[in-house]
Amino acid sequence: MNLKTLLFAGGALLSGTAASAGGYQVTLAGQKNNGMGGVGVGLSLDQAAMFYNPGALAMVKERGVQLGVNATLARQAFRAENGGTQRELQNTTTTPLNFYAGFGPAEGKFRAGIAVYTPFGSKLQYADAWEGRFALTQIDLKSIYVQPTFSYAITEQLSVGAGLMILALGSVNLQRDIPAQNAEGKFASIELDGKAERKLGFNAGVFFKPSSMLSVGISYRSKIDAVVNDGDVTFTNLSNTATPAFQATKFKATLPLPATTSIGLGIMPTEKLTFGFDVNYVQWSAYRNLEFQFNAPVNGATSSTSKRYYQDAVTLRLGGQYQVTDGLTVRAGGAYDNSPVKDGYVTPETPDADRITGTIGASYKFGENFSLDFSTQFVSLKKRTVTQQELLDNNTTDRVAGTYKTQVIVPGVGLNYTF
Amino acid sequence: MNKSLLKNTLPALALLGLASCQPDLDAPAIEKGSADFSSYVAVGNSLTAGFQSGGLANSGINNSYPAILSRQFALAGGGGFVLPLFPDDRKDGSGYLKFFGLTSTGSPILLSPGQSTTVIPAGETAPRTITNNPATYQLAYTGNRLPAPPFGSGALELAPSFNPQPDNLGVPGISVLSADATAAIAVNPAFPVPVATLNGAARGYGNLNNYYQRILPAADRGTKDYVTFIGQKTPTFFTCWMGNNDVLTYATNGAVLDLANPFSGMTDTTSFGRGYRNIMRTISKNGTVAGAAANIPNVVNVPFFTSVRLADVIANFQRVNPAITTIFIREGSSTTARAATANDLFLLTAQAQFATGAGTSPTNPLPSQFVLDPAEATAIQTRTNQLNTIIARTARQNKVPLVDMNGFFNSIALRGLTINAATNNATLIRGNLFSLDGVHPTSRGYAVIANEFIRVINSNYSASIPQVNPNDYDAVLFP
Repeated sequence: MNLKTLLFAGGALLSGTAASAGGYQVTLAGQKNNGMGGVGVGLSLDQAAMFYNPGALAMVKERGVQLGVNATLARQAFRAENGGTQRELQNTTTTPLNFYAGFGPAEGKFRAGIAVYTPFGSKLQYADAWEGRFALTQIDLKSIYVQPTFSYAITEQLSVGAGLMILALGSVNLQRDIPAQNAEGKFASIELDGKAERKLGFNAGVFFKPSSMLSVGISYRSKIDAVVNDGDVTFTNLSNTATPAFQATKFKATLPLPATTSIGLGIMPTEKLTFGFDVNYVQWSAYRNLEFQFNAPVNGATSSTSKRYYQDAVTLRLGGQYQVTDGLTVRAGGAYDNSPVKDGYVTPETPDADRITGTIGASYKFGENFSLDFSTQFVSLKKRTVTQQELLDNNTTDRVAGTYKTQVIVPGVGLNYTF
Repeated sequence: MNKSLLKNTLPALALLGLASCQPDLDAPAIEKGSADFSSYVAVGNSLTAGFQSGGLANSGINNSYPAILSRQFALAGGGGFVLPLFPDDRKDGSGYLKFFGLTSTGSPILLSPGQSTTVIPAGETAPRTITNNPATYQLAYTGNRLPAPPFGSGALELAPSFNPQPDNLGVPGISVLSADATAAIAVNPAFPVPVATLNGAARGYGNLNNYYQRILPAADRGTKDYVTFIGQKTPTFFTCWMGNNDVLTYATNGAVLDLANPFSGMTDTTSFGRGYRNIMRTISKNGTVAGAAANIPNVVNVPFFTSVRLADVIANFQRVNPAITTIFIREGSSTTARAATANDLFLLTAQAQFATGAGTSPTNPLPSQFVLDPAEATAIQTRTNQLNTIIARTARQNKVPLVDMNGFFNSIALRGLTINAATNNATLIRGNLFSLDGVHPTSRGYAVIANEFIRVINSNYSASIPQVNPNDYDAVLFP
């Protein structure tokens, strides 16, 4: 498959929802991993090792091409602090994809490959006229990394690897209403739409498998600042009288895509049974403020700053797989995500909370080279309340006081061709 | 397990999950606590009536804070609440100001029905005449007039309330002094109107004030004061927001007495105390009926007194004549003009005076009734605080909680009020909370007031009445 074709054809689809991991992370990079609670740093399951731990790629037996697609089905309930009806998201299903191609000599010590995945993203469309409309009506945040990867087995037990992460496609679309009514009583709205500049980062990992029953891994993904320099600002329903205060046509903004450090453990009590345990540490504290610079005033100001004050967050993952027959493997797992969003700082664009995830999955092999993966994640975010008093205390009244409850289901399917 | 089993179970599992995926948050419990909202009555002035942009119309009446409160009370066992609406074909009532955009210098173009002005609109270069066509209004004037002085004010009669026996008894313009025919006992040295004249005017207030006239049975117009009128009601819950006009009428006239209006002075504390206690005892049935009483916001915080700034006035004059660096005003009883300072508060109505060239020379000063000097502003604030002391004490004596609107609006003037990410403050038009007259709230402002009442009622009566989302109520609409 032509990579460029895939990027542009699939570009519109490649986004996550505010759901698959803490903050605006999307950790749906491998369909087998998705069925096992998202573990993978201490394992060498398949080509998706390029994402989880490039050091493990050299230990993946097969070479091959694999494509995965997921559907994130998010449902949310929101109630404003001052009462009112329950608000529910307009259904916005996203379909994050992942694609891997791994090459190398059959018996050689190295593997090379290319990975395409969606590490961050968020898509939410709130109910019409919901209480938080002046903070956000909808967001669509996308990122696609393309990652050439190389991995080398120093010994039979120890391998290392690294990838060059290219932020190949990044885009943001934010919309909110403006509390200025036109003659018909309609509120104006603003849309910020921009593409991120191409940026580079890297990932690297070490994989150590001292015995057939035990493996450990450590990996690191660097931070990339997604920078939008020439985003478009569009106003609608703005009355003539209000127009002079809303003249911006362009915006600049920077969104950090934070660094992640992971360690993982694999335990293989038998040839057919595998357990994995991962810990991810995401340096969300890089996200202090969301700042926009405008080329002309928006309600009289040429810049805006909104506090985020994220804190570093840890995710714990546990999963296992069992080979039932020659063709069939079944999987299960779970994860616990610590939210990077502090109390009193919850925003509609990332209505985050600690989350518990349960996963199931299976693979079926058709013949020697071809197999299908299925996975489903059930993600439950804890009820999260932000009070008006907290917003006042933190000077974060640019968002809405209320309670969010979100649940997500992420079914996915993967195709593997190995050679 | 085989392939077809796999095929069948996985989608089924996914569907099972999907069906149960939409989370639900329980609606907060609604409790009336120790209050009984089955029969709610609102007592007050223009703020209670729903007056907006210099007039009373059905749109304002429907969004008055008592109307909003009654709809929230209805969620907690509240009964019907009769609004004194105008008939549908006269829905625009007294008429109101409309906003025709900004001038080239950024001043709002605000016109009452039939009014014209010649200005350079924003974005244009030549002056032109803008007229507020009265045919766009469905006014409620009957064509009759109230009795001429000395028996009445001669004001245009308004169509009576479409609904007899309304529960929102707000009367625009009414003060404590004009509400009680027994309030005045001593002559106010600052404004020597005989006691008998004051009390007589309060008794015949239905012939003076067409907003009182329209909710009063015709037979009672010359004989029934407001205290007696509200005493005919038997509410289970009431709100009372009175006293504003005991200082505001004087303040909005630039601290100049209007000899044609016996109630145009600041009410003295003795008369106010008698009147206010009578009102409160009457509507609370001597403290046996639950309710809430609001006090008087600091009147000089409203945009009517803060929108026209000296520096802007000078800058506007200088566009035509750069030599103008001083604005001249005549203050109080002084016969000579003096230069205005940044501490003098120009009234919103001074804008039209400046447009005619007033203030540009000592021989053509801005007249006193368009400006409050610091001494006048201080005197008004001092009296407001004295009256608020009486209100707080009287509320306590009648066992009803105080809604501190003075503190609430001071906070808004100082810090603004951000609700659900919409920023509001006390500026004219763009502040969202004040309507085009600079004194009365917008529907959004009334929603904010209703929420403050609800907050106090909830905490005092152990109730949990849900607040409203003020952003669902209109602020100033921009043409």
